[in-house]
Amino acid sequence: MTIKKTLFAALLLLSGVSFSAAAADAEPAKAAEPPPPPPSLGTEYTETGADTCLMCHVEGGGYPVFAIFKTKHANRADKRAPFAPGNLQCEACHGPGKKHADNGGGPDGINSFKSSSFLTPQQRNKFCLACHENNARIGWHASTHDANNVACSDCHKIHAERDPVLATATQPEVCYKCHRKERADFSKPSTHPVRFGKMACSDCHSPHGSTSSGMLIKPTVNQTCYTCHAEKRGPFLWEHAPVAEDCTLCHHPHGSVNPARLKKMPPLLCQQCHSVAGHPSVARTPDGLPGGGAGGEAFLLAGSCLNCHSQIHGSNHPSGAKLMR
Amino acid sequence: MKTSNQLLLLGMLSALSATATAADGAGPAAVDTSKWKCESCKFETGVSGTLEVGAGSVSDNSAEFGQYNGLYEKGGFAIGDAAVRSRGEDGTYWNLDASDLGLDSRGLNVEGGKQGTYKLRLKYDETPHRIWDGALTPFGGSGGASLSLPAGFPAATTDAMPVAGTLQQVDLYTQRNQLGVGASWNRSKEWEYAVNFRHDTKEGNILRTGGAFFVNTAQLVEPVDYVTDQVDASASYAGKKFQLKLAYYGSKFRNDNHALTWQDPYTAINGETLGQLALPPDNQFHQVSASAGYQFSDKTRGSADIAFGRMTQNDSFLASTQNATLVVAGLPGASLNARANTLDANLKLSSAVTDRLRLNAAYLHNDRDNQTPQAAYPSVATDMFVGLPRTNQPYSFKQDKLKLSADYRASARLRGSIGADFDAHERTYQEIEKTREDTAWGKLSSRITDKIDLTFKFAHGERRNQGSIQWNPEITPAENPLLRRFNMANRTRETVGLRADIALAENVNLGLGFDSSEDKYKDSTIGLTSGKDLNLNGDVSMVLTERTSMHVFANRQEIKSKQAGSQTYSVPDWSADSKDTIDTYGLGVKHAAIPDKLDIGADYGITRSRSEISVYTGASNPAFPGISANLDSLKLYATYRMKENMSLQAGYWYERYDSKDWMLDGVAPATIPNVLTLGLQAPQYHVNVVRLSVRYKF
Repeated sequence: MTIKKTLFAALLLLSGVSFSAAAADAEPAKAAEPPPPPPSLGTEYTETGADTCLMCHVEGGGYPVFAIFKTKHANRADKRAPFAPGNLQCEACHGPGKKHADNGGGPDGINSFKSSSFLTPQQRNKFCLACHENNARIGWHASTHDANNVACSDCHKIHAERDPVLATATQPEVCYKCHRKERADFSKPSTHPVRFGKMACSDCHSPHGSTSSGMLIKPTVNQTCYTCHAEKRGPFLWEHAPVAEDCTLCHHPHGSVNPARLKKMPPLLCQQCHSVAGHPSVARTPDGLPGGGAGGEAFLLAGSCLNCHSQIHGSNHPSGAKLMR
Repeated sequence: MKTSNQLLLLGMLSALSATATAADGAGPAAVDTSKWKCESCKFETGVSGTLEVGAGSVSDNSAEFGQYNGLYEKGGFAIGDAAVRSRGEDGTYWNLDASDLGLDSRGLNVEGGKQGTYKLRLKYDETPHRIWDGALTPFGGSGGASLSLPAGFPAATTDAMPVAGTLQQVDLYTQRNQLGVGASWNRSKEWEYAVNFRHDTKEGNILRTGGAFFVNTAQLVEPVDYVTDQVDASASYAGKKFQLKLAYYGSKFRNDNHALTWQDPYTAINGETLGQLALPPDNQFHQVSASAGYQFSDKTRGSADIAFGRMTQNDSFLASTQNATLVVAGLPGASLNARANTLDANLKLSSAVTDRLRLNAAYLHNDRDNQTPQAAYPSVATDMFVGLPRTNQPYSFKQDKLKLSADYRASARLRGSIGADFDAHERTYQEIEKTREDTAWGKLSSRITDKIDLTFKFAHGERRNQGSIQWNPEITPAENPLLRRFNMANRTRETVGLRADIALAENVNLGLGFDSSEDKYKDSTIGLTSGKDLNLNGDVSMVLTERTSMHVFANRQEIKSKQAGSQTYSVPDWSADSKDTIDTYGLGVKHAAIPDKLDIGADYGITRSRSEISVYTGASNPAFPGISANLDSLKLYATYRMKENMSLQAGYWYERYDSKDWMLDGVAPATIPNVLTLGLQAPQYHVNVVRLSVRYKF
């Protein structure tokens, strides 16, 4: 099936179900009674702050609320922290709680931070950004995650002594909840050491927004790669143009079935861009394998093109124009 | 980027600003918190944490299994992990996390200070990278900058070399150790100053794929002895409406080895006995940047970033050749004095024009302006033949990208976005100076019922060359004029994605995903002509009982491409198809065997990958043998609580890896007459790891 057909079929399916859903959403209530008002955030705070909340949200309850007191949010000596004297405690993040308390709980009146909340992700995020819209989060607005309705609480666990997304070894599992293709990428034979717990997604990506495509920690792909691979930065006397332009033209940083995370096996990888008269343009077939009778093993086996052109990332040798010195 | 686009952007930005209204919604009522005693709050002070000590054993040696985890050698190892927290009444705190203390993959993170006032940070991390078992080389001095051969060399071909009695086994590996220290200081609620320093060392031996002499070559072992120092310093301001960050980033790379010299194992043709290649030169990068965000109103926000950088490299040149019998002209200088300026800028504005509609505009500019001086360099081909002088080509790159989009929320259950991206690239010294890619995209997300979420997205992009194609005459020999390099070629790209998240039952969730990307290079006669990437995935997570949960996933990816070539330097006379298929499966189970006493679990992962390559020349060409890699990984673990604060941790890990690669399999050092290889073979392993430890909580 071509992509166009797939696209058309999927559009048809989704538009059908979506408009059905929208229609269902807009259907008037069948009962004679007027529908209840839509849920909304409360406007009045509780009488006693956290003490009111903790009357119901007891230790050992359905959600580990008390772990918040092991976190930075509960450091009373930090004037910025929600639990610092004079600050709004639970209601600093969850919003004014009187309506929620008066209702005996439930989703109405409160910012639960749950995906089932009546608040949109953007509305929920405002509570976090009120204090955290600095540093890397200056550009959160309209970032890829923001535009895809990701809520802060989709990734961060606030009521946990250790937020898994902040630790190298546990972060990838959080990201894989949505990024399933990348989970498979890191199981491929050639990958960065994410599977081994020695590298986190945030070593390269800035999940809170970034000036680069792919939400990278630096403005460009190459500047990001150079933070660990500075030996490839140069500038070299003899540059290999695609190397200086974008590492991902030849490498797949998340993982590949080919060595060195290459996108394709040489010599075909190189022959996509090199077709000068002579050996680069010769079709290398299985006849060039040992026993094939055609010779030319040096162009196919071991390092293939790199058997000779080993300075593929650039050379500073005066005689290195062909990337052989 | 065309002027019209820039005007369009400015118009858009001004229109968005005009829509900004200062009418913030009514906020919550003022509150008197004097009665908020927080008497039920269980604030924690003092020291707490966990310590874990134990031992483990690895059944077999395997570089592939132990690539990055330190478990590459058969035998026992010590287990040491710690996570300790301290909290003081006055806001002082420190956290210590240590892992893998008994392995050379150990790591230590310490953070402390007075929250809201200052923070100090220390990080130490070791990352081993075991690259290959059993590299074989007749060269002596591996690990150093000079490789020499034993008696019996040189010879005309590898089969005439005395490799059988001279091969030595060399480990290919690197060990990266990172030390980081940092400090930040909150001068006020709004201002924060931070400085972080990172010192990386990387040592070891890696494969240098070749040291060539005309048609003969040898795989060599290259020494790695790198030091990279990086510093980040910043001042950040976070106000209610305005945020700012001013920063400096510096990176300095040093290589203790500037050249690798090796003896020619082949019979000299033109007086050459030594070869020398340049190793990565010392270099530096310095960058200053500013980022700012401004909340024009509750509904409209803008942000901007700009970064100026300069990369430099001025390592002394090596000699043009090691061949003293050749007469070579002098170099134009003692070093290159290479320098490239970078300018990266970004401007972004988003505005919720109504409660349902948000408009976004972003403009991106990246520039690598290579100002390295050009000169003609005398050239010696592989230390054998004096060639014509070559002039260096300092490549520059510039990108301008404008992104416009609108997000619309039709109802609580239906959202959609559409957008257009205009991406213009400029390159110097390459055959195509300018390309422009226009992409239209859309996305629809719907909560069809309370149990089904669907997201559909698509994009259609067209990239076109701007202007004529002018091949660089300095690049010789000339490329086939019908070649189009894939990063500059005219291209049509279509991507489609569909994702469904379905709550099958109260405790059973199903996720399904489909992603497809297809590239067509219809104007490319030679080179890459098409590419396709298809990904299908499914996930099921289940809470089976109060004590048992399970997670299953499956993923299939197919990557296909077609390319064409010309052996006659004319029209295409051969083509090639490549196809990679990767299947990944995972199963995880957690079970509270004895509630509050014994927890057990298992993770099983399978990866199957295979690559099929066919090259067609018009003759009857069989396909290449398949390249494959199969990984099976089983992890079993158990935690038994002996006491409230003490538990026993047990684990068993079995992994099996089997790979086939015709590029490597059966290629011994002397298999190829004109390539003296390291005899590396596609990795295989069966490894069992057991571990037992005691965890103490305090």
